[in-house]
Amino acid sequence: MANPSKTPMSRALQRRENVAGYLFMLPSLIFFLGFVIIPMFICIITSLTETNMTDPGLFGQFIGLRNFGNLFQDEIFLKGLKNTFLIVIVSVPAVCGFSLWVSSAIYKLKGPVLSAFRCIFYLPVVTGSVAVTVVWKWMYDNYTGILNGVLKSTGLVEKGINWLGDPKTAIWCIILILFTTSVGQPIVLYVSALGNVDQTLVEAAQVDGATDLQVFWKIKWAQMMPTTLYILVITTINSFQCFALIQLLTQGGPNHSTDTVMYYIYYTAFKLTEQVGHFGYANAMGVVLAIFIGALSAVQFKLAKEK
Amino acid sequence: MKKLLALLLAMTMVMALVACGGNSNQKPAEDTPPAPAENQEPAAPAENEPAAPAATSEITLWTYPIGDWGDEATVKKLTDAFTAETGIAVKVEYLAYADGDDKVNTAITAKGTPDLIMEGPERLVANWGANGYLVDLKDMFDDTDMSEINAVNEGVMNACTHTNGAIYEYPLVMTAHCMAVNVNAFKEAGADQYLHLDTHTWTTDEFINAVAALYAHYNDTVGAVYCAGQGGDQGTRALVNNLYGGTFTNAEHTQYTWDDPLNIQALEQLKSMDGIAFDASLAGGDEIAKFYQGALKMAFCWNIAQQLDPNGAKTGAEKTVTGEDIAFMSFPSQDGNSKLQGGIWGFGIFDNGDQARIDAAKQFIKYMCDSANTVDAVKAARYFAVRTTAEGTDLSGIWADNAIMNEYTKLMPYLGDYYQVTTGWAGARTEWWNMLQEVGAGQDITASVAAHAATANSAAG
Repeated sequence: MANPSKTPMSRALQRRENVAGYLFMLPSLIFFLGFVIIPMFICIITSLTETNMTDPGLFGQFIGLRNFGNLFQDEIFLKGLKNTFLIVIVSVPAVCGFSLWVSSAIYKLKGPVLSAFRCIFYLPVVTGSVAVTVVWKWMYDNYTGILNGVLKSTGLVEKGINWLGDPKTAIWCIILILFTTSVGQPIVLYVSALGNVDQTLVEAAQVDGATDLQVFWKIKWAQMMPTTLYILVITTINSFQCFALIQLLTQGGPNHSTDTVMYYIYYTAFKLTEQVGHFGYANAMGVVLAIFIGALSAVQFKLAKEK
Repeated sequence: MKKLLALLLAMTMVMALVACGGNSNQKPAEDTPPAPAENQEPAAPAENEPAAPAATSEITLWTYPIGDWGDEATVKKLTDAFTAETGIAVKVEYLAYADGDDKVNTAITAKGTPDLIMEGPERLVANWGANGYLVDLKDMFDDTDMSEINAVNEGVMNACTHTNGAIYEYPLVMTAHCMAVNVNAFKEAGADQYLHLDTHTWTTDEFINAVAALYAHYNDTVGAVYCAGQGGDQGTRALVNNLYGGTFTNAEHTQYTWDDPLNIQALEQLKSMDGIAFDASLAGGDEIAKFYQGALKMAFCWNIAQQLDPNGAKTGAEKTVTGEDIAFMSFPSQDGNSKLQGGIWGFGIFDNGDQARIDAAKQFIKYMCDSANTVDAVKAARYFAVRTTAEGTDLSGIWADNAIMNEYTKLMPYLGDYYQVTTGWAGARTEWWNMLQEVGAGQDITASVAAHAATANSAAG
């Protein structure tokens, strides 16, 4: 039996609409291909070569998986990997937990007060990372910084602590800044998600005698799961890709205690220009980092789906 | 039909993007290395002959912040005068030491290097020249030029010349890097007795005693062996090398020798001093700022440009922000005769394959470095001229009206070996500040020094 909607005329109309749709997508597609997909393939191919930044061609000599083999014997890379995971492991739960706590506390506040809190927590996100870093650098300064000033004036320490110059404290200073710049967006998202929780379910649970904790865990948390998943994935990726703070504050030092994979990629690609094959090596690190991020994100999706 | 058209359009644009990234048609610089000096036809002597008009109307210059060569208003005056005389416009881009090398390396990759670049031999000769990106400038020097430059310091032309005989830097100015002390703080602590302000020298023992006196008075860090990065590392190298007479490289500039026991002794001495901190949160520029603010009582990253304008703050020569007196000093050494690190700055020309642009760039160099206009070019840098005369213009007295510059000439005889042209220099610098960080963190000094010196030497080949 012929379907009246599948007439030649409607197919032509459909085709025309499809073409128009694709044409609208075209500019974005070109940029996506040109600046994401193609560089991604170039990165993967380069990671298998001994390419130098100033080589005349795009790719150097093919060396197979040697760059990847060398990576796992490179102490600085392994240290960077360890630091990267430390940042992710500390930062991601802290950001999620803190933003959920703050959101729970403020989402019922009246309009202007809620907006004020949103502004306060979102300010570090919209402020340029360079400006934020400069302010933190002033605070951490071991000669004239406010932190040491307070600690010394209250008699807690006799000599100033070299926050960014001591391998024991430097990475935690970085994590603290990353934390303050990361909580803004999750707080805004959680406030919105909490506001969208179905109140009829909450009221029904309360009528049935559920405690506040049970209401939160069984009703609100379940409904906020997509938001939580998004926050987890975004925070994980941002933590893995922590670069600007390190470049501006410590340059991986002291003694590689703040080296991360992202910073080491930059350092190898653009600073170690005298090392043969440095560009290929840096690309190999990029591939490894992408694999780690992809794997961890997949695990997060899987766990959230099961939940 | 439309679908086909859309597909075609998409493919064209993607291909264009890919083509932009590749650009393999341009002849790479490595394919056209500068001809060996002995095969080159000697060019017509530059002396006393006006440069032929170049067939290009604009050239580009990238300059690092060398005195006021990093200041747009000052450089514009110089380039405008050049343009008025030659008709060649100069487009200037100002680089910072923090990321200037990255920009140049990216430009080399993208085949977008400038015609001219202003910096020192460690980059022009040991890096870009050695890698075949720069033009050999040997044809710009005749015997008169050589004698005018050698009369000031024979090491200058050696530093500007690669081991293959090519000259990759046409030098303009030079200075000796030194350290500085806060005279008021030294007086307050009773440490001024160890300073010889008439000669600007002191011995290792005097330095140790002065630091002890300062620490006893202020009970805080008075000097920082900064090691956050490579910025200003000439200061820490000179401090360590001079303290007990160690060396950084051998005389032939083929090997790094900072694992010298005398350097280890110096590092152990510095580490043991209460008033000295190995500070991995400071680089050279940060240390200058802390000294200028009065937090530190001495700075190891200093030179005449800082003495004239401390911290680049334009708050008065030879003064900290609070108006305390700054005195420049030679680095302490056992007999007071230290070997200071030199700075030699000049121009190099990138080989972009266009002879007209190369000629125009040479015309610019001749105008700035060897003509009556050299006086202005040198004064803009706030350093000392590398030659006695330029086309008959006497350069020896151009700072006669400046008491500070005149006083600073007392340090110039202490100028030591210009070893920054040793192969693998960029990597060696990285090893140096990483080694200082390890020393600061309490690692075994001998082992750390040996490991990093060995890595530097492996890069030096």
